[in-house]
Amino acid sequence: MSVTAGLDVGSSAVKAVVMRVGEGADEVLAHGLARVRRRNVAQVIEEAFEAAVEGAGVETLDYVATTGEGEEAPFATGHFYGMTTHARGALFLEPRARVVLDVGALHARAVAMDGRGKVLGYKMTSQCASGSGQFLENIARYLGVSQADIGALSLTAQKPETVSSICAVLAETDVINMVSRGLAAPDILRGIHDSMAGRFARLLQSLRVEGAVFVSGGLAADDGLAAALQRALAPEGARGTPEIVRHPLSAFAGAIGAALWGAFRREKVGMGGPAWTATATA
Amino acid sequence: MRCFVGIDLGSTTTKAVVLDTEGRVLGRGITNSRSNYDLAAEVARTEAFVSARFNHLEREVERAGGAAALARLLRAFRMEQMKVQLANLRARIGDEIGRTVAPGRRAAAASAVEEIFRRIDGEEERRLAEESPPARSDFFRDAAGSAYARLAEEVAAPAGVTFDLLLGLYDKCIVAVENEPLALGFREHIGQALHRAEASGAVRAAVEASATAELEVAGTVGTGYGRARLPFPKEQVRSEILCHGLGAHVLFPGTRTVLDIGGQDTKAIQVDARGIVTGFQMNDRCAAGCGRYLGYIADEMNMGLHELGPLALQSRRPVKISSTCTVFAGAELRERLSLGEKREDILAGLHRAVILRAMSLLARSGGIQDEFTFTGGVARNEAGVRALEGLVAENYGPRRINISADSIYTGALGAAHFARRGAAA
Repeated sequence: MSVTAGLDVGSSAVKAVVMRVGEGADEVLAHGLARVRRRNVAQVIEEAFEAAVEGAGVETLDYVATTGEGEEAPFATGHFYGMTTHARGALFLEPRARVVLDVGALHARAVAMDGRGKVLGYKMTSQCASGSGQFLENIARYLGVSQADIGALSLTAQKPETVSSICAVLAETDVINMVSRGLAAPDILRGIHDSMAGRFARLLQSLRVEGAVFVSGGLAADDGLAAALQRALAPEGARGTPEIVRHPLSAFAGAIGAALWGAFRREKVGMGGPAWTATATA
Repeated sequence: MRCFVGIDLGSTTTKAVVLDTEGRVLGRGITNSRSNYDLAAEVARTEAFVSARFNHLEREVERAGGAAALARLLRAFRMEQMKVQLANLRARIGDEIGRTVAPGRRAAAASAVEEIFRRIDGEEERRLAEESPPARSDFFRDAAGSAYARLAEEVAAPAGVTFDLLLGLYDKCIVAVENEPLALGFREHIGQALHRAEASGAVRAAVEASATAELEVAGTVGTGYGRARLPFPKEQVRSEILCHGLGAHVLFPGTRTVLDIGGQDTKAIQVDARGIVTGFQMNDRCAAGCGRYLGYIADEMNMGLHELGPLALQSRRPVKISSTCTVFAGAELRERLSLGEKREDILAGLHRAVILRAMSLLARSGGIQDEFTFTGGVARNEAGVRALEGLVAENYGPRRINISADSIYTGALGAAHFARRGAAA
């Protein structure tokens, strides 16, 4: 049995978990999230890491695994690629998952895998941030809607507005235009959700998805986006469309995958002694 | 006195220019665009008339009290305008707290907001007292927003509320404040401003003489991104390409090619000897290659937009930026910074990236003829100008490059000239 930490460094938030791994019952002991908000990433990493370690109440860690852009975390034992950590983390949270749709701040990517978390294929959105998480966050700000309310509002749309892909940076004026035309916030948000879901559906279809689609990343909590994705993947009357699944810890899928891979590697290599102790960094 | 008004309702800012019958510029006004287009146009127009009044006052008051007295009067006038808007914002945030903040946190939120506004008031008073207060945005949204965010950060923790809650309140209310028609004109506030500036009797007399001069609008033309939504009849609306071409011609009569890098579109225009457009190319719907690109980078670096150029000019080895998308360029910037690359070198690369996009637009519109006039917000950025000069010389040889300090008003100026021509016809 080992206790490991996983750190997923994204462009808008750092996610950290501490897990107990082994003896047939892997378990997330605690998790922590810190938003970057233009701060020094090293400081944000520390904040998320401390929150998770304190939450877990552990004094030592057998492995500190990073993923995402976390290569430079000073106390890391090893680094794992985002594809493999998201696949592993998704399977841990939802064993039926065969595709992970990771909707992050800048990119969206789809990773197909088998039942053991082996990556079978991979697709990513293009070199433009239109339709990314950052994009949705900007739009919500311009509408004066808090991020937590986006999903619920979108679900109440009466007359969804069709939104073609719009530049993430220029979205502000596009939104101002829509508001000036008298459109309601739910209709705008629903239109944007539908436009994003269309992109994601194309991404998934190009991977020929079979089995459940697990949504990870910060936008997994957005019910409006999940509903839009379901609509985009299941045109009316279609049969055999993939099921969309999410988990309260969806945002931590990458960090969980990293912690699990860390434990695996430690086992393989047969490392002795803790990789991190509370006093060493204090 | 008869005058003509041109209004350029841009995607980011709305500009207005007032001309006299001879075509001389009486005043200019600018505001940020917002969802209520009529109101944005009205605010810019009001500002243009305020500036026309102050320009008119300039000679009178300078004789009566000197330039310092006029500057002080203008600061006092701006402060009066600011106070009206601050009071409105404060009231709306108060309402918002009552409606949306959980009862248990209301008192703490309200007292934190009170404290923020108390400090803003103090800062405003100090600005008035200073001879040359630090420059800040002309727009209420930005000026109040940056003060609010900065003070919210100080106030949040001691008051026991989160910074996010305080900022969220601002975000929710600022839109409503901007879209409410507030009286911000010359007549409404000049009296209180005279009082606040402790103006002398001579200054008061000069103001009085000026305030009685009537400005009668004999014609208005609108243009810009939002022109279709301006409350004008169709014959009073001209395309922004036409207005920019004519505006550049008025500023520099020798102009044959115009490059306008605006907030969110870039235009390359060819004009003939009379300022009539013969060809153009435009880039829009993507922030890369527009002014907004640099605005986004400035936000990413926590710098003011006006600070970017001077820093980029210090670069010795500009980097090559590989991202096209603005958001990705922002990520590339952070990555390069964390790798220890110099800020000035990255910024120089980013400026060059914007200009490179413009160069391809110019090539498609028919190249660069002599004289070449560069307008828009980026024309005020020296690093952008330097990059352009280099690339123009490299690709087209020697060209006379015209740049005007008031080039942001080029579209509105062209529109006002269309209004004047229309009245003459």
